[in-house]
Amino acid sequence: MAQRILICDDAIFMRTMIADILTGAGYEIAGEAESGLQAVERYKALKPDLVTMDIVMPDMGGIDAVRAICTSDPSAKILMCSAMGQQALVVEAVQAGAKDFVVKPFQPARVLEAVKRVLDG
Amino acid sequence: MTDARRARYVALFAAEARSMLGGARRTLSAWFDTPTDISHAEEVFRVLHTIKGMAASLDFAAVSELTHATESSLTTVREGVRVPDRSWLRELERGLDDIASECERAIVAEGGDAVVGINAPAAPRIVRVDIDRLDALFSDLGGLVTARQDLERHASADALSPVARAASVMAHRLDTLQDRILHVRLAPLTEVFERLPPQVRDLARQLGKEVTVELSGEGLEVDRAVLDQLPEPLMHLIRNALDHGIETPDDRRVAGKRPTGRLTVRARRDRDAVVVELTDDGRGIDREKVAAKARAQGILEAGSTLSDDGLLAVLARPGFSTASAITEVSGRGVGLDVVLARLHGIGAALSLTTVTGKGTVFTLRLPMRLGIVRALVTGIGEERYVMPLTHVAELIAWDPAAIRQVDGRSVIEHDGDSIPVVDLRRLLLYRGEAAPSRRPAVVFEANGQRVALLADAVLGQVDAVVQPIERPKGMPRWITGAAVLDNGRPALLLDLASVV
Repeated sequence: MAQRILICDDAIFMRTMIADILTGAGYEIAGEAESGLQAVERYKALKPDLVTMDIVMPDMGGIDAVRAICTSDPSAKILMCSAMGQQALVVEAVQAGAKDFVVKPFQPARVLEAVKRVLDG
Repeated sequence: MTDARRARYVALFAAEARSMLGGARRTLSAWFDTPTDISHAEEVFRVLHTIKGMAASLDFAAVSELTHATESSLTTVREGVRVPDRSWLRELERGLDDIASECERAIVAEGGDAVVGINAPAAPRIVRVDIDRLDALFSDLGGLVTARQDLERHASADALSPVARAASVMAHRLDTLQDRILHVRLAPLTEVFERLPPQVRDLARQLGKEVTVELSGEGLEVDRAVLDQLPEPLMHLIRNALDHGIETPDDRRVAGKRPTGRLTVRARRDRDAVVVELTDDGRGIDREKVAAKARAQGILEAGSTLSDDGLLAVLARPGFSTASAITEVSGRGVGLDVVLARLHGIGAALSLTTVTGKGTVFTLRLPMRLGIVRALVTGIGEERYVMPLTHVAELIAWDPAAIRQVDGRSVIEHDGDSIPVVDLRRLLLYRGEAAPSRRPAVVFEANGQRVALLADAVLGQVDAVVQPIERPKGMPRWITGAAVLDNGRPALLLDLASVV
């Protein structure tokens, strides 16, 4: 069965782009969230195999969302999506429980590598 | 990335970037009121950050560089390194404007549309439609409305017949369809309103004035064609308000007012119109000065004064200006006459109220929808003419004995007012049978003036479906279209405002 992924980003543009990359590689999109709060709720409801998480979002940013998700499910697999110049935030996210990160703009190959790495890890 | 996929991403970028920049502009407006409140910084930062990410994904290098630079400046404020003040906010505002223009350039370069989709809602399930196709749909609807009125007339012979019942169901469905089709053409005033605060601040700065601007009712929607014509007249009125209305901070203190002037732009629904009121708390229009100049030019009789309506009529005369010095801001460009012409072109009306020392209110009455107008049907002999009800003030039974000649013009006395009379027969060069002895007069109001139009008969009201007409040379400009009546006969549409 295809592995299910929850995409969290406040821009439809980004969610569409990530979804295109993932579905092209045979993954299933479990759902989408456009804020940190929604990400936490959807994670609980959908129990996805992996989460892609943007850092800058309204109503609770990505890092707080990672913290909340990992507190309720320490085995959660979260891949951070960051823009360039946010190294400090990526480190914080990893400390909060995120497993890996990719940098925007997305290179499909890089994204798929990272997704596979996190799912296999 | 395939071309089709890239086009889809560009369309998403266009919708989201525009909508987010619109949101950032609104945030910035609120921020200007309390510059040191840095809670606004997060929201603007998020917008910039998201746009930067999207632009980088599409290789829009200029957009991502600009957003990155503006974001860095914003970061100094978010981290408390810099305390924001108005001048820094203006810099940020210019930054947002530059980003918006750069986004538009990138979208157009990709073959995207530069206009449709501005401030599209966040969920861009949008289909772009050429306005010509909508117009064609609209024209088909016109045929249906006429057929429906015909059917209803026949069905009314036996109101209980199955045909009458079916006709009534069809009429109901057609109402819904009509609403939906008209709705497709609607666009929110936000598109125009949200651009006003930065422009007002720029103008205020040029003029050395302090002005706060308040908006309300911007969620109301009007026809796209109306909305597209709105910015220019509105900005003209705003320029006048800032230049001639609102005083300098020093003058305001002397007058016992707070140093910062206030400009409000308020929209509200009123029946089938959207009314936009532009209010300033400045010095008001100098009625005496305008009257003096009008008398000197022979427009106004010696000894008479100007009402608000008369004031507007005088100010709207081509070339009329009392500005003693032509100022940088409002001395150029179009005059109030051009504003009025532009507004009439979209079926809108303008009026004003001014109080010396207190300020001025300009009221724009915009039709919500074009195409179908509630209109009065009048007759001259066997000919039928329709007039939009927007400008019709009242109908009076006219007594030929009440007519007087003043300066070679016919006027009638009504409600203590002298109203000029225009005979529709003369206006239309009608040469048929003689006029009936009793004739109704339609009093209409436009540009603050009243005129009584004499017809042979007033036959009722219809929802007239307006069709544009080919304009042969020499056709009077007050014939603006044609409508089909419920008996299938055509009638010319008269634009009453132009008759004035």
